Amino acid sequence: MAATSLNKRDPRMFLRILLQSLRHRKSRVAIAFLSVLLGAAVVFALLSLYFDISIKMSRELRAYGANFFVGAAADAGGATVDEEVLGRVLSRIPEEKLVGASPYLYGVARLDLGNAVLAGVDFAGLEKLSPFWQVEGNWITVGFDEEHCLVGKSLAENMALEVGDSVTARKRETGFSKKLTVRGIVETGAAEDDQIFVNLPLAQKVLGEEGRINHVMLSVLSRDFDIEGLAADLERELPGVSAEPLRKVSYSEGRILEKIKGLMALVAVVILAATTLCVMTTLMAMVVERTREIALHKALGAENRSIVRQFLVETGCIGLAGIAAGMAVGFLLAQLLGQAVFGASISFRPVTVPLTLSVSLLAALAAAALPVRMAVRVAPAVVLKGE
Amino acid sequence: MNKKVLEMSALTKRFGNVTAVDAVDLDIREGEWVAIMGPSGSGKTTLMNILSCLDAPTDGRYVLDGVDTSHLDDRQRAVVRREKIGLVFQQFHLVPYLSALENIMLAQYYHSMTDREEAARALEQVGLSHRLHHRPSQLSGGEQQRVCIARALINQPAIILADEPTGNLDEKNEQIVLDLFGELHKAGRTIIMVTHNPEMGEQAQRTVRLHHGRIDDSAASAAA
Repeated sequence: MAATSLNKRDPRMFLRILLQSLRHRKSRVAIAFLSVLLGAAVVFALLSLYFDISIKMSRELRAYGANFFVGAAADAGGATVDEEVLGRVLSRIPEEKLVGASPYLYGVARLDLGNAVLAGVDFAGLEKLSPFWQVEGNWITVGFDEEHCLVGKSLAENMALEVGDSVTARKRETGFSKKLTVRGIVETGAAEDDQIFVNLPLAQKVLGEEGRINHVMLSVLSRDFDIEGLAADLERELPGVSAEPLRKVSYSEGRILEKIKGLMALVAVVILAATTLCVMTTLMAMVVERTREIALHKALGAENRSIVRQFLVETGCIGLAGIAAGMAVGFLLAQLLGQAVFGASISFRPVTVPLTLSVSLLAALAAAALPVRMAVRVAPAVVLKGE
Repeated sequence: MNKKVLEMSALTKRFGNVTAVDAVDLDIREGEWVAIMGPSGSGKTTLMNILSCLDAPTDGRYVLDGVDTSHLDDRQRAVVRREKIGLVFQQFHLVPYLSALENIMLAQYYHSMTDREEAARALEQVGLSHRLHHRPSQLSGGEQQRVCIARALINQPAIILADEPTGNLDEKNEQIVLDLFGELHKAGRTIIMVTHNPEMGEQAQRTVRLHHGRIDDSAASAAA
């Protein structure tokens, strides 16, 4: 028997059948195209976010406070350490990993209407450590400004202080007294609401603790940075100093990131599953609609592999077009999400293209499996018989 | 005497307990025009499906143009269909989104290579040179059937199998199609058609009557 081999087939005729077939079923093709587009767009957007989220979320979570503490060791016998500790600590942290740092010195000072906790800080560093503080008035951002202070909201209410008012801080033991102007009222929802914040050098003078600090609080980007190792190194190098990551924050950061990534993966899987089902039902409807045509192709001598090839190529064409458009839409979607969630644009990362392409194409072809099986099972003798 | 193009011996097809074709012996020679007739349920359609290699017999032997098709698998039967058989359907079965010309080329495509000029000549032979680029929906029933006949002829098959080819046509188109088959017969084509239509039966050179899946020998006739 002289079987005609498939490799002699005319690719132009194959293309003609393919294009005409797609054109003939515009509405069904459009539904399958839009389904793939939607799936690819969501996958692309979530992948873009996924790759950017670690960096952006890390920055966002840093907004919720310091994650590294350096202070006097409990067994060292003193509550303060030399303020040079700050410089030593900062020298060990790469600039790009440091979000902010501030030394702290606490003591009780006498104000006009009573005693209060006076905190000496570096305002520039404190602002970066605590960007979520609600400040009425202004932050004191100039380090050497010894004329102004920030007052906690509760303290300000108790002492009837407002922005622009004057308040005198003094310490009986040192006899030091300083008149300050309230630059801002700060609301933190924590103990700071009862404190008065001044520049560190001024606090040292008022409290009689020149060159001393209680501790340093830092916000460090812990991703790809051995924060535990840093703590161990610092404790070895600086006797009497305790250094430790604030585990709750660091650990929560990691857990939140993992949860968000997990949630994104779940959303992507659900959307892909919905897309696959939608494409599958559309293709199944197309097979049902084309039963006679498939039977005719078989009656004319088409083998099953020809039928499979035609359906897979049709699905592949619809899929590739949908994925290409979906990636463009997905990039825009990623920008919208990036702006809404992080207030920043999402970078284009080339790796998202092959990943979206392979995942979406796999979903489209998986969707074609059952319809192709249906097409192969079409029995021309049953379908084409006369009536 | 022409050589045998089709030989059937003890050909049987059963569906469960039902025997649709029962030990049929039939030889058809090259250039013959045979009509297969019989009442509904006589096994005509089942026999036609086996003749056209759309179905396989349960028992017996069916040799077409030197190829024993009795034990071929699906893929091998598909090859026999495209190489040796031209099919004409009662309901035409043209691909709706392809033009008349492209429908002819589709048969060429599955057989070997497409040839636009040859396909156009085939349509010209059936009187449709002015309808090459019309879609089936733009053609009358008679014209669609003529496209179907041109498609059946395009690959020079060993046999042309027609299932009620005039069943869906009006009187005028029925005559046109009958005349076409007459011309094909004169040109030496082997034609086997299943029909209820006595006029079609009369036009055929030989009539095979089926009854309960068996050839009714008493009714066999040979026309001049």
